[in-house]
Amino acid sequence: MTALTAPASSDADAGLRPVPWRRMAGIIWRQHRYALIGEVTVLGAVAVVLWLIGTSLHHDYAAALACQPAGSQACAETALTFGGSFAFLANGGILQPLPVLIGAFVGGPLLAREMETGTFRYAWTQGFGRRRWALAKLVTLAVAVTVPATAFSLELAWYYQPYFATRNVAFDLTEMTPFYPALFDLHGTTFAAWTLAAFAIGGLAGMLIRRVVPAIAATMAVYAGLAFAVGAFLREHYLAPLVTTSSLNLPSSSWILSQWWTKGGAVVSPTAMNNVIDKTFTSLNPPEGSPGQKFPAYQSILRYLTEHGYTYWTRYQPGSRYWPFQWIESGWLLALSLICVVAAVWLVRRRAA
Amino acid sequence: MTALTVPAAHHDNENPRPVPWRRMTGVIWRQHRYALLGVVALLGALSLYLTVAGTSMHHAYAAALACRPASSYGCQNQVIDFNTAYARTAQTVGVLLMAVPMLIGAFVGAPVLARELETGTFRYAWTQGFGRQRWTLAKLVPLAVMVTAAAGLFGLLFSWYYQPLFADGMSIPLDPKLFGVRGVAFAAWTLAAFATGALSGMLIRRVVPAIAVTLAVCVALSFAAGLYLRPHYMTPLTGRNLASAPASAWVLNGWWTRGGTTVSQAAMDQIETPLFRQAVTATVPKNVSSDDVKFYKGSASAQVQDYLVRHGYTHWISYQPASRFWPFQWIEGGWLLALSVLLIAATVWLVRRRAA
Repeated sequence: MTALTAPASSDADAGLRPVPWRRMAGIIWRQHRYALIGEVTVLGAVAVVLWLIGTSLHHDYAAALACQPAGSQACAETALTFGGSFAFLANGGILQPLPVLIGAFVGGPLLAREMETGTFRYAWTQGFGRRRWALAKLVTLAVAVTVPATAFSLELAWYYQPYFATRNVAFDLTEMTPFYPALFDLHGTTFAAWTLAAFAIGGLAGMLIRRVVPAIAATMAVYAGLAFAVGAFLREHYLAPLVTTSSLNLPSSSWILSQWWTKGGAVVSPTAMNNVIDKTFTSLNPPEGSPGQKFPAYQSILRYLTEHGYTYWTRYQPGSRYWPFQWIESGWLLALSLICVVAAVWLVRRRAA
Repeated sequence: MTALTVPAAHHDNENPRPVPWRRMTGVIWRQHRYALLGVVALLGALSLYLTVAGTSMHHAYAAALACRPASSYGCQNQVIDFNTAYARTAQTVGVLLMAVPMLIGAFVGAPVLARELETGTFRYAWTQGFGRQRWTLAKLVPLAVMVTAAAGLFGLLFSWYYQPLFADGMSIPLDPKLFGVRGVAFAAWTLAAFATGALSGMLIRRVVPAIAVTLAVCVALSFAAGLYLRPHYMTPLTGRNLASAPASAWVLNGWWTRGGTTVSQAAMDQIETPLFRQAVTATVPKNVSSDDVKFYKGSASAQVQDYLVRHGYTHWISYQPASRFWPFQWIEGGWLLALSVLLIAATVWLVRRRAA
């Protein structure tokens, strides 16, 4: 019997199309639905709490604004007491862990779980190439993580707006400027940028460490170090600080970095300065009394000293630089995220199956 | 050929001894060495920071204390400068350190049982010579003791670090933001977080969700304890006027009464606000900018209080005195210990109950 040969059906193989990108959407959802649902739940719960507290906060603020005559000294004072039992939210420290928790728990297991369980050998040998697979996952989840974070940061901006509008003395030491380290990265665009960066670091850490729980822990550690370094050291140098001698007239929205005295061009040490201030205090003999009256005494001493050869310098960032700083920080965080994502994809490509 | 029979050697099968407990130490080390080393690394890095920052803070405080004459304006200014320089950072550090017990508990406690259940290796681990109940206890108790001891040492270091700011009155002893990081409470919270992790690992049976749930539960518990439980460990004292409580007391609540009945907050606001405005207008010099009005808040409030007291109102506060710090620490440590024992017992019971 003669074997029949049939020609290969050319249309089946010619122009072999890769699997379309949108097929990954279903896979990403099925593999990461719990992480995404968890993220939305946590942000949602915190958002509800903030909304409840923020509503009464804005109510108080509106009552303070309704004070007449506006701008008078008496009305300036009534705008200042936003506190009560929820003052612990005021300095923003409590909300700091949110970006890193989201980024670590969504980004860490992303590649690490495939590597740990060995399912990458299956996932990377489907019709969808491994590079496209990694890219599709990283980019889609990056967007899925950043969008709720952006929405949340809008609510945070609404919540803190009365504090900033009144330059509230919400806790013991200092007025609340938007530059305050624990608040700066909760506002504007930086909250979403930090969440994205945490996610990208998580993805890269997962690919490097190839175990899920260590990847999550490593992401948290790297993020904590980075956030601390930026808040304590880097942020004040985004733009060269201004230096001024009219320290007594600085608007209170400025972020004061350091202050020092000089006399005749030479810096005076703080201990020596304290002696000078003490002598001036006794010689000027301003009225004693409640702590409220110590301040005008201090002001008049400073004025007296500046008139007598001492100069009070301040190095500061003006409040008008708030948005440029936000853009700078978001920009380099975005660049860092891109580098981490590209590095993760390159590692995926490079790894021997 | 006759088959030879040899009698069974009795001593091999009579009274089979279970594997001794100390064999588990090697198993615990091999399975959990990375988690334990991670805890050591984390606490070590934080201890390094606290030592360095704390030494400079102690030096600065000693220098401020050594200033003479002590009551002069310049020396008081030095203490204020010290506070301005160090207090805010130290307070933020203290608040952030509350995360450490939760992280330790979640990352050490949750994988103990969850990993075995997730990967199925429990079927192997529970069928060795060491029974499953003893295996669970032998794992949970030594790990709990280790993390609690490490946390206890760290808590001592933090107390040393923060001591100058308590000494100069910047923070009150019962400061709620710092209470959980000091004394016995830090170690107790670590233990409770570990026990929560173990139980959630057993219930959820997947590692990463168990870690996440442990973190969430610990956060919620610490907020609930700080806001609702802690003020009531002992019945608060009531006193008239803010002045009747020492400055170091933890003031919980304040209210006004007139003629024996409490006046509602809304009614008080209506009375106090115009009084306050009058006082501000009377006390503040005209040339002070509105930014600086807040410095006169104290004297204006004092005037309003005087006026109200002269017109038949009495101000009451409820507070906890600073001397109750250690009783509160023991109470908090006690109920956290009881909770941890309960959670570990529940975990062991679940292990026993689970069909292999």
